[in-house]
Amino acid sequence: MESQQEPEHLPSGPTEVVNSIRERTIAENSMVVLLQGLQGQVTTVDLKNESTARGRVVNVDAFMNIRLDNVLYRDRRGQLTQLQDLFITGRNVRYVHIPDNVDIMKTIQSQLARIHRVRNFASHGGGRKEFATKTK
Amino acid sequence: EKMYLTLCVSQQPTTNTVEEPLDLIRLSLDERIYVKMRNDRELRGRLHAYDQHLNMILGDVEETVTTVEIDEETYEELYKSTKRNIPMLFVRGDGVVLVAPPLRVG
Repeated sequence: MESQQEPEHLPSGPTEVVNSIRERTIAENSMVVLLQGLQGQVTTVDLKNESTARGRVVNVDAFMNIRLDNVLYRDRRGQLTQLQDLFITGRNVRYVHIPDNVDIMKTIQSQLARIHRVRNFASHGGGRKEFATKTK
Repeated sequence: EKMYLTLCVSQQPTTNTVEEPLDLIRLSLDERIYVKMRNDRELRGRLHAYDQHLNMILGDVEETVTTVEIDEETYEELYKSTKRNIPMLFVRGDGVVLVAPPLRVG
């Protein structure tokens, strides 16, 4: 077996905001922003198929699709499986357990602040000049 | 529609009148509520936040799962319920059937 490169160390804590404007708008109008603020934390996700996945949150998108790594997956019969990486489709999520140390208000507010910072940065200096308004 | 949080950090100015069904849920913010979910599940907890999809954050939650077992000989229905407690739970809205003040038993 060929030796593989070490996977890049993923930064812990909230990472950059998604680039898609559409996803930002969807996320900022819903509670998904709280889940996005959990990036880097270890949580348990209960799925609709009665199984659970406990792992570190890598990413959550506006549609509640969740990527976890270092996962302990327990199926509905209780059988445990270890998985390096798990992608859960948003529609399959029933619950997400919020860790005790998370301040919900602060997390949501800081996530919204990130979204608004990106938006304001993009319009700094007038933004793109392609559709500049006429001064006449 | 925006989401509502307990400390009133809503993104739109909140009105005091009840105008639409979601406003009724707003009245229950920071109160204990009863949530009936799909698949014979019920939650009782404190409502910290919710959004228009009925995604909710509940604190101090008790989840009750009810199952029916049928006795193969007598065909008796045996109702069993399993409870568990979770300190803080994010609930995806598409599983929510009903939201109400806590039921008073007896």
